[in-house]
Amino acid sequence: MHRLRMDRRPVTVPFAHASEAEMSRILDFYAVRWEYEPHTFPILWNLDGDVVESFAPDFYLPDLDLYLEMTTLRQKLVRKKNRKLRRLRELYPDLNVKLFYARDFRALLLKYGRLALVDGLSGTLGQVASPHGTRAVDVPILLVEAPPESVPAERALRGGSVAAAVGRKGAGRRRAADPDTSINEGAVQA
Amino acid sequence: MNLATTLHDDVAEILLTEEEIAAKVRELGARISADYAGQQLTLVSVLKGSLPFMADLMRAIEIPVRIDLMEVSSYGGSSTESSGLVRILKDLSASIVGEDILIVEDIIDTGLTLNYLIRYLRGKAPASLRICTLLDKPARRLVEINVDYTGFTIPDQFVVGYGLDYGELYRNLRYVGVLRPEVYSGANAE
Repeated sequence: MHRLRMDRRPVTVPFAHASEAEMSRILDFYAVRWEYEPHTFPILWNLDGDVVESFAPDFYLPDLDLYLEMTTLRQKLVRKKNRKLRRLRELYPDLNVKLFYARDFRALLLKYGRLALVDGLSGTLGQVASPHGTRAVDVPILLVEAPPESVPAERALRGGSVAAAVGRKGAGRRRAADPDTSINEGAVQA
Repeated sequence: MNLATTLHDDVAEILLTEEEIAAKVRELGARISADYAGQQLTLVSVLKGSLPFMADLMRAIEIPVRIDLMEVSSYGGSSTESSGLVRILKDLSASIVGEDILIVEDIIDTGLTLNYLIRYLRGKAPASLRICTLLDKPARRLVEINVDYTGFTIPDQFVVGYGLDYGELYRNLRYVGVLRPEVYSGANAE
């Protein structure tokens, strides 16, 4: 008889940009579950039907059914991203996508009294490898405990419905802190 | 802030005068009184920013109300690296099971804190849970929240006064004003 058991395993999330790592910390702080680049949406095909351009929003917030794309880069790259986002919205009108610009990120850090970090976490500086670029996060793992004579199998919990046209990025990582559990943990009266 | 200047000197523009705020609070109080006529209402204020609004609003409401106060930690408020998880610094002082609750907020921007509070308070089984905010800054919204009572929808600017702070200062201004960017840009250079 197999038994199911939840466990947590540290997984390093290779954020492409330091601002994304900071955003993941903010989401964790407020117990908002997130996945990092879990879905890739084709947005352009050639005449043979091959995908030639796609878009993978930085975060998916499953409880809010919201995709979050962060762009703290130069205006030229922002324009390119805006174009891709427009195309994404045309092709997938039901998707809830929010573009988070450099000014939004700056305002967020100002709100949290961390404005001094903004230069290091934004733009070109934020792209280079830095201590902020990766994060080890605990990911819930569903363990299938087998009888002693067999080898235990395990698989990561995955969920959420994805449109048929949507691919999953191999490197997609998920922060799946149970918000209810998180609230209970956080609800410590001083 | 330069201590040689007054608080007013750091304000670039008065967004809402004392009189405008007072009129809006009276209007909100009348609406709330009408909507909750015959009911027992509990106002839950979120410290510290909503303190002046709460104090004025409760006196503008003409039905019996109870009040309670909560305080939650803010991201970036403790360490410079990982700030962990939001914590309830001051919990409700009484049970709200079966009560009609109105959360009184000073400002809603990202919605992250309020989203957390709503989930937390819903877990305490109130009869109803509604939101009243003096200021709404929808341009910054990350988490969509249904707000039942909104005083003013404001532009995407950093505002202080009437409870709202920057670095714990400016809360005692009688109006809501836009903080001069050089005030917080100076902090960036420190």
